[in-house]
Parts: sequence; C-alpha cells; structure tokens
Amino acid sequence: MNARKRGTATFILACLSPALILMAVFMVYPTLSIFAISLFRWGGYSKEREFVGFENYKILISDTRFWDSCRNSLFLIVTVTAVTLTLSLFCAYVLTGYDIKHKSFFRVVLYIPNILSTVVIAAIFSAIYDPSRGLLNSVIGFFKDGPPILWLGDRRLVIVSVAIAMVWQAVGYYMVMYMASMAQVPKSLYEAASLEGAGKARSFFSITLPSIRPTVRTTLTFFVISNINISFLLVRAMTGGGPDGASEVALSYMYRQAYTNSTYGYGMAIGCAIFIMSFALAAFVNLITRERN
Amino acid sequence: MKRLIALALAVFSTVALVSCTRKTTDNDSKTTLKVAVLESAYGKDMWEDIENAYEKMNTGVDIELTAEKNLEDVIGSRIKAGDWPDYVHLATGREAGLTETLIKEEALEDISDVLTMKIPGEDVTVQKKLIEGFTDTLATAPYGNGKTYLAPMFYSPCGLFYNAGLFKEKGWKVPETWDEMWALGDRAKKEGIYLFTYPTAGYFDSFIFALLAEAGGSEFFNKCMNYEKDIWDTDEAEHVFEIMEKLASYVEPTTVANATGDNFLKNQQLILDNKALFMPNGTWVVSEMADAPRAEGFEWGFSALPAIDDERYSFTFFEQGWIPKEADNKDEAKKFLAFLYSDEAARIFARSGAVQPITNSSDFVKGENALFYSVYDDGARAVMGGFRATEALEGVSIGETLFNSINSVISGDKTVSEWKEDIEKVSDKLREALK
Repeated sequence: MNARKRGTATFILACLSPALILMAVFMVYPTLSIFAISLFRWGGYSKEREFVGFENYKILISDTRFWDSCRNSLFLIVTVTAVTLTLSLFCAYVLTGYDIKHKSFFRVVLYIPNILSTVVIAAIFSAIYDPSRGLLNSVIGFFKDGPPILWLGDRRLVIVSVAIAMVWQAVGYYMVMYMASMAQVPKSLYEAASLEGAGKARSFFSITLPSIRPTVRTTLTFFVISNINISFLLVRAMTGGGPDGASEVALSYMYRQAYTNSTYGYGMAIGCAIFIMSFALAAFVNLITRERN
Repeated sequence: MKRLIALALAVFSTVALVSCTRKTTDNDSKTTLKVAVLESAYGKDMWEDIENAYEKMNTGVDIELTAEKNLEDVIGSRIKAGDWPDYVHLATGREAGLTETLIKEEALEDISDVLTMKIPGEDVTVQKKLIEGFTDTLATAPYGNGKTYLAPMFYSPCGLFYNAGLFKEKGWKVPETWDEMWALGDRAKKEGIYLFTYPTAGYFDSFIFALLAEAGGSEFFNKCMNYEKDIWDTDEAEHVFEIMEKLASYVEPTTVANATGDNFLKNQQLILDNKALFMPNGTWVVSEMADAPRAEGFEWGFSALPAIDDERYSFTFFEQGWIPKEADNKDEAKKFLAFLYSDEAARIFARSGAVQPITNSSDFVKGENALFYSVYDDGARAVMGGFRATEALEGVSIGETLFNSINSVISGDKTVSEWKEDIEKVSDKLREALK
C-alpha cells in the first residue's frame, strides 16, 4: 500500500515537475533577481555594480515624477475598470437577455478590438484624436465653434484619451466572459421573476448580477493586472508619456529610468514597487468583494 | 533493448542539437570581426557594401554584420551574456540609451590612437582627414579629459527648414535676426500661416544648442554643457529664455498634440502644406518626407538660426561609432574604424545620403544635399557636441528637463521661469555627479 502511495506521489511529482521547473526558471527566479538588482546602483550592462541597500527605494519615495506616474496608473485602473465593467455587463446582458437580430455580428464587432495589437489601436486612436482632421473634433465641430481640442496635447485631457482607448479595447473581451457566465443562469429564475412582475432592470440587479458575481470578482483582478500592462504599451505607442510626462504611467516611467536614464537598478526598484502595489491592489479588490455569509 | 534504443536516440538528438548550434565556418583561419550597426533612415545596403569592400581589402577578416532597427534589443541581451560586438555604430540620444549607459559605466575603449592611424589604402592619418573640431567635442570625448571614446560619423547640419518656394511666391526674405523673425511671424499670421512648428520636443536639442552659442559664443555653450554653477542664471541664458517664451506664442497650435513619436510627421507636413513657415530639423527630413504630398511650387530651404547679435549658428549633428572595452578584436576593430574614413567608404555612404565628416566630403555630396551642407560656407558658424558625461542619477535627466518640458512651455502649462528653475536644479545635481 505504502509503495503504491509512494509510486502515486512520484508520478504526480513527475507530471508537475515540467511546469514547476518552467515556473521557477521563468517566473520565480526573474522576480527574485529583480528584487536583488534593485539593491544595486547599476547601468544594466557592465560588470561594475555598487551595492546601495535600500537607497533606490529612499530615492523612489521622494521622486515626484514616480508618484505622478503612479497617480496616472491608478486613475486608469479605477476609471477604465469602472467604465469597462459597466459597459461590458450592459452589452452582455443586452446580447443574452434580449432577442436582438444579428446578435453574432454585434458580438464579433465588439470583440474585434481585443484581437488588434496595441500598436494598431494606438494608430486608430491617433487618427481619431487628430486635432485638425480627426473624427472626434470633426463631430464636435458640428455643435461647437472654437479652437480644436488637443486630445493628445492637453496635459489634462491626454490621460482621459488613453483611458477611452483602453475601454474600447477591453469591452469585448470582458463582455464575452460575462455572456458565458450569464448563459449559465437558469431561465426559470427570469420566468419566475417575470411572473412576479419584475422588469428587465430588476431582473438584472436581483438575478443576473448576483448569479455571475464569482466571474465579476475574478475579472476585477484581471482588470488590475491588464490595465497596468496595457496602459504601458498604449502610452508607449500613442503618446510616449507626453506631453512632458503628463501621460506617463508607472511601467513607462520604470522603462525610462531603467534604460533611457541608465539607472537600471533604480528602474528595478520601481518595478518592485509596482509589483507590490499591484499585489496589494488585487488583494484589496479581493477583500472588499468577498462573499459575506 | 527499448532502454538502449531510447538512450541512443537521446544521445543522437543531443549531438544533432550541438552540431546545429555550432557555427560551421570554412574559414577558421580568418579573424571574425563582429560589427553591429543601427539600420537607420540611410538603410542597410550601405553597410553590406562596406562589409564587402573591407573583406575584399582584408582577405584575412570575416565581418559578422548585425544591422537592425532595434539594435539595442538585439545586442543588449548579447552584451548581458558577455558576447560583446567588436565595433558598434549607434549614436547617443536614442530612447533605449545604450550608448549613454556604456559611457556612464566607462565601458568604451579609448580610441585616441585611431586618430594617428593611417587610413587603410590611403597615405593619410584619420586625424588629418577629419574636419577640424569633430574630435574636440563632448560628443566624442565625453569625459572632458581630451581622450576620444566615440568616433564622429555621418554629420548633418541642423537648422530651420522651410518652403523656399513659398518665400519666393510671397516675396519674403528669410530672417537673419530674431527681430526680423518676429516681424515675419506677424505678417505670415495675417495670411493664416504660423511662424513655427517642430516635429517633437526632442528636436529642440540642436535648436537650443545653437541658440546658446548665439547668446554667448562657444565658450558659454561649453560652460552650459559642463553644468557650470549659475550658468542658467546669466544674461546670456536669459536671452535664450526670452526667445523661447516669445517663440511659444508663434507656434502652430496643433503642434504639441502631434509632437509624439507616432505623429511627428504631421507636424513636418505643416511645412509642406504651407501651414507653418519654419521647423528645426536635420538633412534627413528630405528623404523622410520624400513621398509626402506638398504645396505647389514647394522647394526645400534651409537656414541657420537667426542671429541674436550678429553671429548665426547651426548645430552640427553627427552619429557615433565606438569600440567596447570588452571587445575581443579591438585592434582589428580600430583598423575597420579607420577604413570608415577612407574615400571608398565615404563614397559608399554618400550613395545612401550619409556624409562622413572628412575634409573632402564635398566631393561626395550631390544635389539638394549640397545646399544644406553649404550653410557654413554662407557665414554660419558650427556648434557641436552635447552635455558632458555624468554618473547616472536616479530620476534626473537634463534632456527631459531642458527639451521635453518645452511642450509644457508652449502649451502654457509651465511658465518660462518654472522651466528655468527646473533646469537650474537638474544642472546643479548633475554638476555634483560629473565624471
């Protein structure tokens, strides 16, 4: 019996070992080495490294540009999550709960932005935001005279412009996830609610939303992680962090410090701070959305 | 038996894999020179021609050429793995900052001895053939100790580009002083044309460097580049800030919105469409906009900056080549570098529009380019170089503070005095970190 148990354990370990080794090599080791590098003053290429302990973290605390970039990242995480969640839930509910013609067509159209590369999305929105010939200013021009709105040139507007592009890119993806979840809700619940006189809105808030709560909870963690990553790619392709750092997000600031400014160790300290902050944020989201008995 | 077969297969696979990864060369006796170059707007072909020409001249050398648009990504990981190229053509000022990082880490080889080497196939030394002044700049001797670490390559005069056809049509004269510039700006505005635009804020480097030289001569320029104490609080610097403040009111209003790496061509297009008169740029703009639509009668014009007093300046941009300290074949790399200044190499480069900073470069410059390169013959003075190398300081960058902030000054989000204050702070910090 013991031999059989040992054999089973060996088999399980053998099956798990490729994944464990890959995870250790490509995730655990790089993460730990980033923490180690953040304790050095190093440009990233030569053999010369100077151990500075937590000096990089001390600089980080007083670096206003870093906190500005974190503020932008947080703004994107909160607004993009709130708007995308609302829009994708709405679209998913409409497409599953109503008998709409050409349902598949709408589903495909809404999902397409998600399969486009970030560079293509940046190019599309650069054209939309063009101050002279852009779609947005042309439409606004019908209703309002005055100088063109500089969507990517105004320090106050540029981060909102990035947020709009991120929402457009993400709605379809989350909509499909919510649609799959909504399809699992028993029809009988809606029928019963209808007999009791509940309208569509009431059904949504009292039946659909509570039923798909676990999916929404999971996607909230996805939102935090994907917003941090996609905002970096989009900002690099669309604004380059400009004008004058107004659209800089935490990861793009990290890149700038690690490479352009030749302070690789400091860049890794920023990376660690982002790592910890995103973990904390995901944990916080998990905590506040926890099921209460 | 099965185990034996499995073992044999495993051994065979390993051997096959090793055989595949090992480079098979039929010329083991030859020296392999690893040359890594940026594939810029000049293209890749000229480097392949250089490879062939050098190998033909030196039959004992086999060049392993890496020419990539994202050169930092390609060689960066190799360098981290200890596989250093022997010669690299990659200028400073790129976003990835590889060359700057290696300068700051003192990882470049001293190439002062290349200057005294004879150019292969010619009877002249590199120093004699180089145009005077190119090796006396902080862009080639970044530590200010007189030793050369970066070789000057492909020079290009920078200044203001405009539509000469429009000036002819309107009967306007290209301004020679800033007062004339403002007067022209007011006149053009009445006709719906703005005085100024710029591709991205980064293009202000050549503009501000020339302006600094105009305000206080090359000595003042060098003091700024060496982060001298209170240098930004002098009358000369004040002139520069005043001009920048006034210039901000003449900038085409959509410029800031398009001043990104993705949209800068739209700002350049403003010149071709007669929506703005001048933009700071380099000679590469002609090929960059070669296929762009343009106003009728468009003709490229190029001018040095208008004078503050009497002297006009044009910044000379040039790219850089260097040899890493860790390179395996430094001596061969130095010979190769010397070859790049030969007439043969200059001719190959010139076919793609790249002009080497050698005394007889005019022999190779043809067509429209000749107009641009004649700016110094027309009385403009040249200014070259850049900021002196410092230790890398976390969160501190003179480039971002001095150039990128201009977007905020032009959009009105930052006053000139706030900008000046930021520059002074950064300059003070970097002075403490000088190499």
